[in-house]
Amino acid sequence: MKILLMGHPNVGKSVFFNRLTGANVIESNYSGTTVDYTRGYMSLDGKEVEVVDVPGTFSLDPKDRAEEVAVAMLKEAKDAYVICVIDSSKLERGLYLALQIMEEGYSVIIALNMDDVAEDKNIKIDNQKLEQVLGVPVVSTIAIENIGISKVISRLKDAKPVDVEDITVMRAGMNHCGRCGRT
Amino acid sequence: MEKRLNELNFDEEGTVKEIDESLLRQVAGMGVRIGKNVRMTTKQPMKGPVVVEIDKSFTSLGRSMAEKIVVEVKK
Amino acid sequence: MKLNPDERWDLIDSIARHVVTYGEYRHTLKDAIGELTVKPMTGLPIAIAVMYCFWSVFGSFAGTLCTDGFFVKLFDGYWLPWLQEVFPGKGGWIYSILIDAGGMTNGEFILSDNCFEAFGVLTSGLFVAIGVVLPAIVIFYLMLTLLEDIGYMPRLAVLIDTVLHKIGLHGYAIVPTILSLGCNVPAVTATRILETRKQRFIMMTLLAIFIPCGAQLGIMEEVIPDLIGYVLLYLVIGYFIFGFILNRIVPGKSPEILIDVPQYQKPMMTNVRRKLWMRVSSFFKVAVPFVLLGCVVVNVLYLVGFIQWLGDLLAPVFVGWFGVPKETAGPLIAAFLRKDLAVAQLSVIEMTQYQMLSAVVLVSIYFPCVATFAMMLKEGWKELIGSVAVLTVVVFLYGGIIHLIGKLLGVA
Repeated sequence: MKILLMGHPNVGKSVFFNRLTGANVIESNYSGTTVDYTRGYMSLDGKEVEVVDVPGTFSLDPKDRAEEVAVAMLKEAKDAYVICVIDSSKLERGLYLALQIMEEGYSVIIALNMDDVAEDKNIKIDNQKLEQVLGVPVVSTIAIENIGISKVISRLKDAKPVDVEDITVMRAGMNHCGRCGRT
Repeated sequence: MEKRLNELNFDEEGTVKEIDESLLRQVAGMGVRIGKNVRMTTKQPMKGPVVVEIDKSFTSLGRSMAEKIVVEVKK
Repeated sequence: MKLNPDERWDLIDSIARHVVTYGEYRHTLKDAIGELTVKPMTGLPIAIAVMYCFWSVFGSFAGTLCTDGFFVKLFDGYWLPWLQEVFPGKGGWIYSILIDAGGMTNGEFILSDNCFEAFGVLTSGLFVAIGVVLPAIVIFYLMLTLLEDIGYMPRLAVLIDTVLHKIGLHGYAIVPTILSLGCNVPAVTATRILETRKQRFIMMTLLAIFIPCGAQLGIMEEVIPDLIGYVLLYLVIGYFIFGFILNRIVPGKSPEILIDVPQYQKPMMTNVRRKLWMRVSSFFKVAVPFVLLGCVVVNVLYLVGFIQWLGDLLAPVFVGWFGVPKETAGPLIAAFLRKDLAVAQLSVIEMTQYQMLSAVVLVSIYFPCVATFAMMLKEGWKELIGSVAVLTVVVFLYGGIIHLIGKLLGVA
């Protein structure tokens, strides 16, 4: 099993990575910039699991080589679990990437990071509802203060591939659909 | 009134109406998309890039990219 | 099932309507500073101030405090005399290579009195690596990491985009450029943030030729503090002139900048520490062996008379075209292994100020060090050959021009 940490640049992904892997980090790469990636290991149910800090990317339609690397790394690890780190104050942009990863058939768990920043900005996200709608685990975190990280780890097992079509169905079930919203 | 994004004045706001196909996928992930409110934050001198605010996020685009985005200006 | 961007956004909008409530948005101080630092009127002066601070902290911490204040005293006062005393075989070739080649005056063997002149592996080699380069690299990467983690770099990129776009790059090229001032090796990797082959080629070539690394900056601060400004001026001018030319002749596209300008953040110390440690340690894994090896190679070549021979051979080019003494041949060989070493070596050769300036610029623009070379090869051999071709032309052209300028000013 392999865990990929994905998200936009500057969402606290590498801080998140530090928290997950703790002192257990093995640097396997010259990490001069955000372009390169870092690997580490964390223990999950007594087993050593590889964690990869994938370069930040805005979408799976790469616009430079760093993003190409991110996409390639995702495509190489077909059965990986993906922790998608999202800046809570910019939920929509984050979901764009998360959905793209889900569409590729990966088991995704969403970490709504920088929860405190969102709170400062008066943005409130209903985690449970979001989890219900998406069908994947959603956890609020403040990586910089080590809040929520253990919850993410404990919920990794709930991550499973979701067909985005099902999201559409659930959306209809909530008697409010995107198509209608548009007209 | 319609304007190209690069023609927006400093602090002027508008709604994104059209994004050229060649740019659509590139900017989609950054939250630049049709229907969104956009505010001009800065324009760098000598045909430098612009910085626009969309959904509380700031994105910087080169001038000729900004030319490919059409905005309905708010009065 | 896969969606197209429009469908995906529709879905996100409807999800967001259900799960997010936006209260009134309060503009924070962070937002205000964020905007001030990216607007040209306020942002450019701030950027200049930031760079100036960067440079003066670098110089005073690495040069004045650590090197002069501590390491020079340690190495010249204790380490060198002690080794000269206890190491057996004074005057022999092992002694020359490891400790001190010394000099012959009136048929008498005289030992050097400082670590720049001794040029032994265990004296100058260690001194350059630990006494000069270590503090320079640590403080450089510390400041760079802080700027990165605070979120300043994208703003700098936006501010400088206009200028860099004229040489075929865009604002984000500031990242490999600044990184390169630390060490060219990771900077070559960092060129990947540029989109096209053309941009990566221009960036790689320019940084290999015109950007001195932190080790070299550190040693220049130490041995030629009065000239360093002029050296940098020549390099910056060359960077833009040849960038401009390369942009014209290299085929391919130069796309514009498209980046997110993030909010400022408080850097997390453990993260800074980890990044700093990684950068410094990988730098030293590359640097230290080459510094020491460089000392050995240069000493051996001196002992067998190769450098004197090469100096005589190339004398017409050195003296006539570049206007530097023929002894520069030695440092130029060392420069292929380590530029810091080469500058240290230059500093003890007798020459005029302007010759010194020319020689240091030559050492900078001539072949990148071997580690950078290897890194560039990894990025593609075609690019490497192209870069070397450009480099050869640039060295001769620019070296000649600098000599000419000196002549016109009447100082060469």
